[in-house]
Amino acid sequence: MSLRNLLPAEDPALTERSGPPSGTGLVPAADQDERADLAAYRRARRRARTRRLGTGALGLAVLAGIWQLAAMLLNDPVFLPSVSQTAASFVHYFNRPYPAQGKPLWFDALTSLRRILIGFTAGTAIGVVLGAAMSASLIVRHLTDPVIEVLRPLPPLAFIPLFIIWLGIGEMPKEVLIMIGVTPIMAVTTVAALDEVPDDLRLCARTLGASRRYTMLRVQIRAALPGILTGMRISMAGAWTSIVAAELIAATTGLGYLIMQAGDYLNTALVFSGIIAIAILGLALDACLRVLLLLADPSRRR
Amino acid sequence: MTARADAAGAETDAPGALLTPLSGGTHPPGPPREGTTPPIPPGVEVVIDSVGKVFRRGGRRTVALAGASLRVRAGELVSLLGPSGCGKSTLLRIIAGALPADEGSVTVGGRPVTGPSPDRGMLFQTPMLFGWLTTRDNILFGPRAQRSARRHERDDPELETEAAALLDRVGLAGFAEAFPHELSGGMQHRAAFARALAARPSLLLMDEPFGALDAITRERMHEFLLDLWDQHRITIIFVTHDIEEAILLGDRVAVMGGETPGIGEIIDVPLARPRHALDADTEAFLAAKRRIRASLRN
Repeated sequence: MSLRNLLPAEDPALTERSGPPSGTGLVPAADQDERADLAAYRRARRRARTRRLGTGALGLAVLAGIWQLAAMLLNDPVFLPSVSQTAASFVHYFNRPYPAQGKPLWFDALTSLRRILIGFTAGTAIGVVLGAAMSASLIVRHLTDPVIEVLRPLPPLAFIPLFIIWLGIGEMPKEVLIMIGVTPIMAVTTVAALDEVPDDLRLCARTLGASRRYTMLRVQIRAALPGILTGMRISMAGAWTSIVAAELIAATTGLGYLIMQAGDYLNTALVFSGIIAIAILGLALDACLRVLLLLADPSRRR
Repeated sequence: MTARADAAGAETDAPGALLTPLSGGTHPPGPPREGTTPPIPPGVEVVIDSVGKVFRRGGRRTVALAGASLRVRAGELVSLLGPSGCGKSTLLRIIAGALPADEGSVTVGGRPVTGPSPDRGMLFQTPMLFGWLTTRDNILFGPRAQRSARRHERDDPELETEAAALLDRVGLAGFAEAFPHELSGGMQHRAAFARALAARPSLLLMDEPFGALDAITRERMHEFLLDLWDQHRITIIFVTHDIEEAILLGDRVAVMGGETPGIGEIIDVPLARPRHALDADTEAFLAAKRRIRASLRN
């Protein structure tokens, strides 16, 4: 797409070019026009990004509006509390213990977050190392591929009773549960990302004078990084599913437990508060990964 | 339209070379013309001596190349022309050191090829720029990688100057901080050129580098390559399946293909240097084209 279509014609950045004339005479005039001015091009893209964010916020606002309207029409806070009732409940219990349990909301949120981070980090590390080994060695790949293919479709929740038998009821089984969900996804996405790096890109680095080691670290792994980060985003979503489900069934702390307790006492506003806490934490972690992805892959910055 | 763009246009649109055919059409590797900023070493001789390659897959043998011999003079630009599957890319990768030859040998500048080396730069059909690096960092990849091998991790100001000179040389002075996806197709290819030159090759291997470009951009890249080669005279081996491209660029055209995949006839291009894209309309060009077509049919 031509830059001219994105920018108003009177944009000063288009008329005053930066830099001295190249003077080589090698570059055809028309080609220099194509992207005119890099700064202006990036400004236009930033504006488009801000607009997209605004539209996204509007979508959320519409959802909240429909919820509020439905709650007002139903007028039954046990069946569907309004947005304002939920917000009030969230604020109230954020720093006050819920009666049946004795822990405030922030504590449960932090507990779930800690389990996620430990399990996710361990699972990602193991998955990436395993994926790298699978990509580097055909024997490792043929050995582990069927194992991963068998494990991958199994819902991690099916392992909960096993982990309780093997690992007890402490923090460990929850973290291992998350790890079990994350590792196969990370192994598969890492293999795919490394395989996708063209052989010619490595050859290119070698013909530029890079050693094998330098090419491996600075080209192949670097080129695979965006794919690995995308895999992390996918497995992060799965990790939240696992941990909340595990806490619903077999825990005495965490957001899943809080939601279950609130449901048992028909405190629907607190159920919604727990759900919203999960949404906020999930969004925040995903936002961190997205920032890393944007840093790793400049072509996504649009 | 600005003064800068006008000036650039006026120079490139200048009428082409005088069309006096020169026998052989080759040049001695003369000293580089004035105004060349980056220090690029002069070209080297390449000797390809009865090179053969067989690919084995699942018990099946495919002869990719047999008895290919060619002597490329220092500072010469030779086109390897042939249809798909004639072994031209295989030969180029053997010269690059990416594939070992099963028979025969390749020597570049007197030294046998054993693996990839920065002496032998390569340009691919796609620019193969590193998408996470800016144009400047792409250009500096080679020098930095070579320094890292000698345990000098830090850049010195000399490198910066060289990058700036190369950026200017390929007309990307305003795009030092741009990422590859922010450049047009032609600009990406010029950035890849600059990156290859920054590693200071004495031989440039080009594997259908402009095959994916549109016809107009491709013609511009031809002019760019011809001008660059006229000034630096590094040795270039240019692989293509386009007869006109092979003639326009090459001092000689090595026709590949036939019964066994290898080098067939080697045809001199009787066109004077410096050349220009408009040379394609001359009688001498058409004569060369007729000869090569006849050779390709055999």
